[in-house]
Amino acid sequence: MGSVTGSPGSSIAPIAAAVTVLLLLGIGIYAVAVLDRLVGRAVAREPLRLRAVLIAPVREAALLLMQQRISTERPDAQLWAFAPALLGALAAAGLAVVPASGGSGMTGSIPGMSAGIVYFGAAMAIVMVAVFLQGWAANSVLPLIGGYRFVAQALSYEMPLALVLIAAALPAQSLSVVEIVRSQHAVWNVVRQPLGLPLYLIAASGLAFWGPLNFPDGADLVGGTAAELSGAPLLFWKAARTAVLVAAAAMGAAAFLDGWWGPFIPGPLWMALKTLALLVIIILAGHLLDRVRLERFVVVSWVVLIPVALVDVFLSGLVALWTGGQGGGP
Amino acid sequence: MREIVFWAMAIAAVVTAWRVFRADSMVRAAYWLMASFVAVGVILVLLGAEFLGLVLLLMMAGEMTIMAVFMVMFMMNPAGLNPMTMVHQHRTSIVAGVVAFAGLAGVGILGRFPDARVSEPDRATAQLGGELLGDSMLVFETAGVALLATMIGALAIASSKGRYGGADEGSAPPELGRAGEPPTTKAGERDTGEQRAGQHEAEDEHAGHGGTMSGMEM
Repeated sequence: MGSVTGSPGSSIAPIAAAVTVLLLLGIGIYAVAVLDRLVGRAVAREPLRLRAVLIAPVREAALLLMQQRISTERPDAQLWAFAPALLGALAAAGLAVVPASGGSGMTGSIPGMSAGIVYFGAAMAIVMVAVFLQGWAANSVLPLIGGYRFVAQALSYEMPLALVLIAAALPAQSLSVVEIVRSQHAVWNVVRQPLGLPLYLIAASGLAFWGPLNFPDGADLVGGTAAELSGAPLLFWKAARTAVLVAAAAMGAAAFLDGWWGPFIPGPLWMALKTLALLVIIILAGHLLDRVRLERFVVVSWVVLIPVALVDVFLSGLVALWTGGQGGGP
Repeated sequence: MREIVFWAMAIAAVVTAWRVFRADSMVRAAYWLMASFVAVGVILVLLGAEFLGLVLLLMMAGEMTIMAVFMVMFMMNPAGLNPMTMVHQHRTSIVAGVVAFAGLAGVGILGRFPDARVSEPDRATAQLGGELLGDSMLVFETAGVALLATMIGALAIASSKGRYGGADEGSAPPELGRAGEPPTTKAGERDTGEQRAGQHEAEDEHAGHGGTMSGMEM
């Protein structure tokens, strides 16, 4: 979703690309904020009130920007300011590698980079650092517990996340996200790797600590890593976390739903629609499912999700050998 | 452009590595070290080893966090929030540092390194895979099995269910007597080994729904 549409060659100005990514990320954050409210109202069978819902995120952001910032006693101020920025930057870095369309000259751009899926994995692995620092830097108990919780949580979802992405790369015989999308034109990965997308969505909600997997920011910790935040830092923290969700959904659309490929409407629109569809699923799960206990999630993740993800890699490899072996790859 | 990035990252790697020892908090020291690794990872990417550089970042994010958590756990420093110095045993560390630097610098100056350019990162990744499962397979698999054995050993040591009962036992509240009073001291009885073993076998039965799991709660 990050690249400038189909501009040929590597002549894309890096600044223009960065601005595009940030713009798309901003739109995505706003879309999630609106969707979250709409889905919440739909689940509660309340009237939707579209106009109010469309204005609500802007109103909340403006309110937070005007509010006073509070501080704790002797926080690690530099790291405290650094953590939300790092989280937002990682989301942008992750989104940058997701292609919005299949231009011919993708090789020089970030979406065309040969180890794109590893790049995404690396960016998402550092999310753990950002959330832990956010919890640690406040010099306060509840955020600290939230930070420690996220470390346990991250160690549990990271393996399934990495494994299903590896499985998605197998039929493409490439680690490049563009090639992964191209390999799905005949059969989408969501069809030929039925275990992949469900596991990915669970891992993605863990990554953005969303819905039932919101352990570090949970209500039982009175906000957890966000407990001591107020005003603009709270707004940035929420936005950065939502941005991570957007980036994860965009990568899910590229890795499992054939990215930009589709009839009638241009590629970037397909990409946006597929990303939105995945976001709706995650947000709906957040409203319908109750939060589980962290211990249970950790145990389920290591005992069930990781073995299932390994089975997914194995089956995907078999299918790829079976169907793509004689074709000679991409 | 490449040259500028290289020098920026090379300087960043050295400066952040120096900051590791000037930091006064364990978490800061761990993440300065990670910043140093990030700079090295970018240099690897510049060298055409895209996969290796990115995997370095991917691994270090988790490793440094775990290292920070473990340091906080072992240091008896409440939550790791109090400042503390990162430098100890000055004389030994100076000698070790000078020797290591001289050795590595000697290798750097006297050694011969291949200077052929890597044509495509993609091929480099494929070649790496071929190497891992080809000529060097024995080396890497041996290292892999050794690491796996270490991991299993670490898990066995850290497991909450040890030979002598659950690790969370000490934190479990004492059972109440019939009238709702805490039991009068049983310490004398508990000390005999046989009873202890028997008791633990019995306790293992319902350890599952004790529900404390203090290790996870953090």
